[in-house]
Amino acid sequence: MPGDLTLIGFGPDGWGLALARAGLMTLYVSVSAFFCGLMLGTLIAWARVAGNWPLRKLAEIYVTIFRGVPDILVIYLFYFGGRQVVTAVGTALGLPGPFDISGFVSGMLAIGLISAASQSEVLRGAYQAVPKGTIEAGRVSGMTRFTLFRRIIAPQAMVTAVPGMGNQWQSVIKESALVSVTGLVETMRQVSVAAGTTQEHFLFYAAGGVIYLIITTLSDQFFRLAEKRSLRGHEQGGV
Amino acid sequence: MDFDFFAGMFAQLLMGLPLTLNLGILALLGGFSLALALNLMRATRIGNAVASAYVFVFRGTPLLIQIFMIYYGLAGFGFVRQSFFWPFLREPYWCGLLALILNDAAYTSEILRGGLRSVPKGAVEAGRVSGMTRFTVLRRITLPIAIRQALPAYSNEVISILKSTALVSTITLMEVTGIARAAVSETWRAVEIFLCAAVIYLALSLLVTRLSAWVERRLSPWQFGVTP
Amino acid sequence: MSLPSTALSIAGLHKSFGSNEVLRGIDLSARDGDVISLIGASGSGKSTLLRCIPMLEIPDAGTVTVGEDNLSPEGGRLTRGQESVARRMRGHLGFVFQNFNLWPHRTVLQNVVEAPLFVQKRPRAEAEEEATALLEKVGLAEKRDAWPAHLSGGQQQRVAIARALAQRPRAILFDEPTSALDPELVGEVLKVIRALADEGRTMLIVTHEMGFAREVSSQVVFLHQGLIEEAGTPEQLFGNPSSERCRAFLSGHFDRNR
Ligand SMILES: Nc1ncnc2c1ncn2[C@@H]1O[C@H](COP(=O)(O)OP(=O)(O)O)[C@@H](O)[C@H]1O
Ligand SMILES: [Mg+2]
Repeated sequence: MPGDLTLIGFGPDGWGLALARAGLMTLYVSVSAFFCGLMLGTLIAWARVAGNWPLRKLAEIYVTIFRGVPDILVIYLFYFGGRQVVTAVGTALGLPGPFDISGFVSGMLAIGLISAASQSEVLRGAYQAVPKGTIEAGRVSGMTRFTLFRRIIAPQAMVTAVPGMGNQWQSVIKESALVSVTGLVETMRQVSVAAGTTQEHFLFYAAGGVIYLIITTLSDQFFRLAEKRSLRGHEQGGV
Repeated sequence: MDFDFFAGMFAQLLMGLPLTLNLGILALLGGFSLALALNLMRATRIGNAVASAYVFVFRGTPLLIQIFMIYYGLAGFGFVRQSFFWPFLREPYWCGLLALILNDAAYTSEILRGGLRSVPKGAVEAGRVSGMTRFTVLRRITLPIAIRQALPAYSNEVISILKSTALVSTITLMEVTGIARAAVSETWRAVEIFLCAAVIYLALSLLVTRLSAWVERRLSPWQFGVTP
Repeated sequence: MSLPSTALSIAGLHKSFGSNEVLRGIDLSARDGDVISLIGASGSGKSTLLRCIPMLEIPDAGTVTVGEDNLSPEGGRLTRGQESVARRMRGHLGFVFQNFNLWPHRTVLQNVVEAPLFVQKRPRAEAEEEATALLEKVGLAEKRDAWPAHLSGGQQQRVAIARALAQRPRAILFDEPTSALDPELVGEVLKVIRALADEGRTMLIVTHEMGFAREVSSQVVFLHQGLIEEAGTPEQLFGNPSSERCRAFLSGHFDRNR
């Protein structure tokens, strides 16, 4: 029967410290994966908007694949597949086994690549929402492509992109729970271990849920702030 | 390339497809009904608060934790074990399905809400002044516009749930991913096997994309220049 | 007394969209101080012609000259070298769009100083001072810190004109500057353009305001299906057009407007 709250406290029998550390690990994996996805996602969006035909097709196929395959399969592929590749290479080189790869790195890459697909869609949509006329007005004033992007396109696209990117960040946090299958001790893994050890399943899964809620809620506040900032000059239905 | 291995693998994985589809379709049906109920609840102040809290919790936590909570967590309560539901709640199938339904409902209710909010007030008023009853307005004007509006987002949710069914493999269910995992632990050919599974899911999601594009066309001929 | 030199010229300009041949060999030139009105039925290619000058549309054949620079693009695209020539040409032109196209994320003043600061790299103090003067000239000095979304269409278009002037252009191109405006706002914009004509600015104006064109132009050009059907002084063209099509077009217009 769930009851003994000291189990999730910071006392001698408490898992509090372990949970806090796991929460930080969740944040750490998520942030790394998100930025991974942001970089690749920007490239993909750029390819889809401005690339030539083969580049565009390639980007399109990438997005289709990563939006159609379950996240957990991608993580399995990276983790077990990565291990398989490392083992094959290691054995071929005559190195002594056993071989393993980092759950953190494979998880981060897997989630980063998945997120890149959705982030690229958000960025592409934001670019397409910029009124074409304002871009033309920049071009006729003699702006270079870079200036045009920096001064005209990016600030306007930001307005649409920020809420969308906020959603992508929330997805990444939740997807990071899947990295637990690689044995990386983040929140999900830690609460499973604790639940198994103490047989207090409800208590620990609830604690895990609360940790995720704290992270998602705080970051939601952050993105709202960012959205407000990016809305300068776009007061809806103003004076 | 080991053609026989791939052919055999596909055949084996496809045995899990009925369960994957079963879970996906039932989760969507259950989730949609619950989502509709959640939106109707929003008419009252308390109902609105409850619906908001529900959405907050289920969208703010990973599905995996929801599955474990239901499968392992609920069993810790004596009253659950003594209740009428126990025969269901000790089965991984029902626990997985329940988690998928509850999760899908949270996302779908937001999609539905967005669709309802996008219905122009003028369209509703025009219905009213032409003498329609509230119910007729809902049936003939509000819902068609809302559903049309929500369709692209909903088709993403359909794909998302089909993908999410893979997670119930963690509570021993042998759908496509579960079979793949079992095969990997036997043969250790992880890359090949997981790629085969990925292809199956990819085909499913492409099918859904095509289907939803077709439905979208059917539902909004005015946007595509289709003559009625 | 020396003749004014050529500010802008177009020779043998062709442009198609797919199989639709929109411009079929246009020759046109403007000397400093000229005000040329382009008139013609909707779809005759006026906007396309105007947009070919700063290479917003890339012509299929022909040459565009602005000041010292000229371009003869081939195959509907610009090479890297041509791209930078095009940028220089654009810097010497002002363009006023039918839909204003102000940058919504910048205030009125910021819209006007954007190109001086970030294209021409002029000092901020100087650019802002000049911009303030230009806003005063278009009658919007008090709106300098407003957001474009908070202005009426007429005010937005006047800001757009100030923005074009801020580039110190050799010539200004207007694409139906009053067509998107409510009738009661047309006057304030035309008044500004008229003042520019009086200053001796070089301008190319696509317009359907025949009375206005007659009043400010040094030359009027009638476009028909991608060709210049008739060109001349306003007196000639409005008073006694030689082309039958031009006559028909004008009578239709004056009937509708008066
Ligand atoms: N970007 C474009 N793509 C395809 N066709 C175009 C494009 N722009 C203009 N056209 C076509 O070119 C013709 C001339 O258009 P336009 O120059 O806008 O005429 P005007 O300004 O005189 O009304 C029209 O038939 C129009 O449909
Ligand atoms: Mg036009």
